[in-house]
This record gives sequence, structure tokens and C-alpha cells, in this order.
Amino acid sequence: MEEEPVSSTWPLLPLFWQNFTPENTARIADLRKEKADQEGHSDPSKVRIENLPRELRCLQPPQEPEDGEWRVFGNKYTLVDELPKLEDMGIQRLFPNPEERDQDGKHFDRATILKRSAKSLLLNFLELTGLLATNPEAAEEKITDIRDILINFHHLINEYRPHQARESLISMMQAQLDRTRAETNAIRDAKDKAERILEGLGSLKIEDVASEAVPEGKDVWRDDREAWDALVGESTS
Amino acid sequence: MGDRLTQLQDAVDQLAQQFVACIHYINRHHNLETLGPNDMIRDVPKEQDQQEVAPHPPDVFRAAQVELAQDLITKEQQIELLISILPGLDNSEQDQERNIRELEDELKAADAQRREAVREREEAMAKLDAVIRSVRRP
Repeated sequence: MEEEPVSSTWPLLPLFWQNFTPENTARIADLRKEKADQEGHSDPSKVRIENLPRELRCLQPPQEPEDGEWRVFGNKYTLVDELPKLEDMGIQRLFPNPEERDQDGKHFDRATILKRSAKSLLLNFLELTGLLATNPEAAEEKITDIRDILINFHHLINEYRPHQARESLISMMQAQLDRTRAETNAIRDAKDKAERILEGLGSLKIEDVASEAVPEGKDVWRDDREAWDALVGESTS
Repeated sequence: MGDRLTQLQDAVDQLAQQFVACIHYINRHHNLETLGPNDMIRDVPKEQDQQEVAPHPPDVFRAAQVELAQDLITKEQQIELLISILPGLDNSEQDQERNIRELEDELKAADAQRREAVREREEAMAKLDAVIRSVRRP
């Protein structure tokens, strides 16, 4: 066999994945439903069952951490995923509170503030160079200013991330919709084409059958008629 | 190339780096001047490998300054452009949610239509198949 890799990029799967067999999932679904009926819940997925058999225990998702924090891969996460406030980081906030701007829910104020910050950055840099040339000791303060503006800038951008995520979702859904519709149309077109061909084939076949069948039919009928005539003649004479 | 917000963040970081680069350049390549008539530029013995300043000729220094300044302005303009094309500036959260819900419904409808179309296509195929088979038989 090949050499065992010393380390893998990702940690191994937790062993309890083997418990997720079709039988076990069906069993826990039944148990949940039973419990939900007992307790009068309408949604079986919200129900918690105590004292599950060992092999089913891992199929029930664990409860939310009580203190709202957990650790994964050495990082701490919180249930409420909130952007830390600038004030909490000891940075001066250079823009109005979210409640005070973007009154109609639109984000033009944010764009204006961002643009203003960008210009302000340039101006502050100009001032910094001037200070460095004339009075380097005073530059420290200016550098702090620039740092504050930069941090504020990034903060505003990060605030906007959920918005952009939703916006991306919308455009992805739109693309998916367009794709599905195009696919449907293509399928319909193909189907129509096939049906038209079928119709064409149908009319073609009828003609063929008719043109082939008629001369034969005539002969058959003639034979029959002669036979009948002969019969009739015999019986009348 | 990330999304526009990341691009914007990168652009701002680049601007900050340009600030540093500008100061570094000026700090490193400026010329030495005497402040008064009695001052003298001392001849520092060049025993260290690295000189404190490596003066560029005045015209090169001047041109470099202009270029750095222009780069700064260009970057700032880029940032403003990126800000103005941020996605969904004129959508509020409610708009977005409504939009998403509508799209979800439309998607469901479109998917049902697609499945219907697939079914129809299969029927047509079956018909075509039957015809072809019957033709083959004499």
C-alpha cells in the first residue's frame, strides 16, 4: 500500500457519521413524530428526545451552547455574529450611528461617507507629509488620524457585507431563474420539433399506405366480385 | 478577484501601502541641504554598507514625486469608482427580502414548468420511439 500521509489537510470525519444509516434516520424520524404528537407540537424537527438509544444519540443535533460561544479549529465563535463596535476597540467613530443615517433603508449615505473618507485620507496624507517636513514630532498624531480613518473605512465596508451577500444571492437566483427558463424553452422547442416531425411522418405514411393499398384492393375486390357473381349466377339459374 | 467589497478593501489597503511607499521613497532618496550659510555637509565615511540616504538627482526625484502623487490620486479615484458601483446601494433590506422571496416563488414555478416540459419531451420521445419501431417492421 501507499505510505500513510503524515497529516491531512482536514481532520478526519467524526466517527459518528457511521450512525447515519437509512434505518437509523427513519427510526429517529418516527420517534420524533411520536414525541411531537404526544407533546402537541406541529413541527417534529424541533422536538428533543431524552434517553435515546446509543446508536441514535448522535442523530439528534446538540443543543445550542448556553453561553452563546463555541470553539472550532482554535477559533472562538458566538451565536450572535456581530461586528464589534468601533468604540469597543478604542477607535474614534467618524460617521453617524447606523440608526441616524440611511433613513429610507437605502445606502447612499454610506457611499457618501466612504467617498468622504477616501478624500479625507488623501488630505490627511498631504498634511502628514507637510508635518514630517516641518515638525516631525507632531506627525505621530496625524498617523493616528490616518489609522482611524482607515479602520473606520474598513468597518463601514464590513458593515455592508451582509447586504452584499443578500445582493449576491439575488443575482445568483436571478441567473438560476434565467437558466431554468432557457432550459424549459429549449426542451419545449425540441419537443415541438419532434412532434412536427411526427406529424409530417404521419401524413406521409397515410399517403403511402393509400397509394399502395388501392391497386391491390381493386384486384381483391374484383376477384371477390367475380366469385360472388358466379355464385349468384349459379344459384339463380 | 473577489467581490466588489473585497476589491474596495484591497484598494484602500493599497492606498495605505502607497502612503508608506511615498514616505519611504522621499525619506530615502531626498537630497541633503544646508540650512544656514555656516552649515556644512559632513563627509560621513562610507564604512557601512547602507547609506542613510541615497540622493537621487533633482530631476529624477521631482519626477518620482509627481508620479507617486499621481498614483495616489488614481488610486483614490479607483476607490471612489468602486464605492459608487457597490451592489445594491439603492436597495433596502426589506427590498432585498421581498426580492428574494419573489425570486424564490418564480424559481419554484420555473422549476415546475421545466419538469412539465421534461415530461412532455419524454412523452414525445416515447411516441417517436413507437413510430420508429413500427416503421421498422414490414
